[in-house]
Amino acid sequence: MTNQRRIAVAVAVVAGLALLSAALVPMEATSRPANQIPIEEVGDGTAYESPTAAEWEDVPAVPVPMTAAPSGLPNAADTSVDRATVRVVHDDERVYVRVAWDDATVDDEITDSRSFADGVALQFPTNASERPAIAMGSSRSTVNVWYWDAAEGTEELLAGGQGSTTPFEDPAVETSVEHDDGRWQVVFVRSLTADSPDRTSIEMDSDVDVAVAAWNGSNMERAGHKSTTEWYHLPFGPGPGGAPFESILWAVAGIAIVVVIAVTISAVRSRGG
Amino acid sequence: MSHDVTLAEGIDHQVAMVMDLNQCIGCQTCTVGCKTTWTEGEGRDYMYWNDVETHPGEGYPRGWEGSGGGWKSDARQEREVGEIPDQEDYGRPWEFNYEEALFEDDGPLRPEGEDPEWGPNWDEDEGAGQFPNSYYFYVPRICNHCTHPSCVEACPRQAVYKREEDGIVLVDQDRCRGYRYCVEGCPYKKIYYNAVTKTSEKCLFCYPRIEGEGPDDEVHPPVCASECTTQLRLVGYLDDRQGPIYKLVEEYEVALPLHPEYRTDPNVYYIPPLAPDQHSPDGETVDVERIPREYLERLFGPDVNDALETLQREREKVNRGGSSELMDILDHTNPAKQYRLEVFNDE
Repeated sequence: MTNQRRIAVAVAVVAGLALLSAALVPMEATSRPANQIPIEEVGDGTAYESPTAAEWEDVPAVPVPMTAAPSGLPNAADTSVDRATVRVVHDDERVYVRVAWDDATVDDEITDSRSFADGVALQFPTNASERPAIAMGSSRSTVNVWYWDAAEGTEELLAGGQGSTTPFEDPAVETSVEHDDGRWQVVFVRSLTADSPDRTSIEMDSDVDVAVAAWNGSNMERAGHKSTTEWYHLPFGPGPGGAPFESILWAVAGIAIVVVIAVTISAVRSRGG
Repeated sequence: MSHDVTLAEGIDHQVAMVMDLNQCIGCQTCTVGCKTTWTEGEGRDYMYWNDVETHPGEGYPRGWEGSGGGWKSDARQEREVGEIPDQEDYGRPWEFNYEEALFEDDGPLRPEGEDPEWGPNWDEDEGAGQFPNSYYFYVPRICNHCTHPSCVEACPRQAVYKREEDGIVLVDQDRCRGYRYCVEGCPYKKIYYNAVTKTSEKCLFCYPRIEGEGPDDEVHPPVCASECTTQLRLVGYLDDRQGPIYKLVEEYEVALPLHPEYRTDPNVYYIPPLAPDQHSPDGETVDVERIPREYLERLFGPDVNDALETLQREREKVNRGGSSELMDILDHTNPAKQYRLEVFNDE
């Protein structure tokens, strides 16, 4: 085999691999794009109201890393929950979100000056088409928060920036809770659609952002002193494959690679010829 | 002589109180008056919005002087991190065995349940020093309704605020979510968490009384002042230049805030205590101050030296048969001036 021929074969192999990866990588990536929490559609979700229902075991679990929220409050950097696991299912009417995280101590009573409760919250953009500031949104782009703490139970909140949290009089969200073997499991259940413009309505035509927060009462965590995730999204939007621009980018990258290889091959051949 | 009165930004007037520590007999009538008016039951059992503590002593809550809070510098950009006192440091509100002790002749009166190991006034009258030169004095304390309240700054929800019309510091019970950053942020530990209502609560300077909102529609001073057996408190506005508080604080400079180094600028002021000199073992008076001056400086700052000198000078003037406006104010020889709460009503 001549030198030119060897080069041509090598280039062809590289080109083949590049094409293959250009085709396969998007498929792999779209099976779970970054910061996506997959959702499962079920017939009747009633069983999922229980955090210990066996049905939850068949739902894909997404571990979400958590870090101290930069609230500026005293000791804000000292948080103890560093990850949670989130599972989401929905049926025709309701969405069920189970959040689980490790916390060896059950802080479910506020009896004196220094006791605080364990808690967890899900934050959604009030307007699902927006992406508000991660720290409780802003006055222009508010957030709807589903909140539970071990002492006071469930609350639904509206916030437009730090310090503006306001509870709804009648929460539209329900919770059920289990603490076992050093682990909290909290299920939030709510109708997909909402009856108020201050509540996030989950339509089947677009993704919905969500962020998670957790508080460890025995570490005196409360208010903005908490562990939080960055924004994740629930892929309620049409079809698999994530956002359309992502597919376009992959297609452009694939074509570019093919063009470069083709040009290289022809250059090598013409020099050899 | 006119002095500048610095009010907090956006405040029309500033309520203020002067307490003459030389007149306090530690009877706790102010404490009881406050307690029965504001803090009975419903998670408030342990709270004393007004307390009277013995100094030197641990105070209420125990060790509050070392619990942090306040501002790091005069620029007031950064706050000292504070701590929430432990419930044991306030003292648990125990019940007594009245029934057995009083009606069943079953042993002495004692707390029910576990023997308490600390409570408000646990170290009452202990003080410091050795016989015959032991010493102590009482310090009644309420919220200082500070000009630069670090509790207000500490709240991430702006639930603690300073009232525009008179600078009273209040907790908006609807906004409060019980985070307790105000409790740790107050260097005087004069905000209390209510574990039943799940909100923080504090001294209101009896604002309904000073507004004349009571059943008789009359203006009254705060209950701690009106109940005081020796009438040691003067109540009015710091910026009322004709009032006794302005004279004592700004002109004579004998009324001083407690722990000025916390930099919150309290609006409760104290006339520092003058005590008899020390005695020798055989009972002769010796020329040594009974209350160490450095202790008073630690409580009231270096200005206490001039204040004590002025008080001593004016007192001697009266002793020699002269007259002293300062001593007249402190003796309430004109009682109408002790409480001046309606001077700005026409505004």
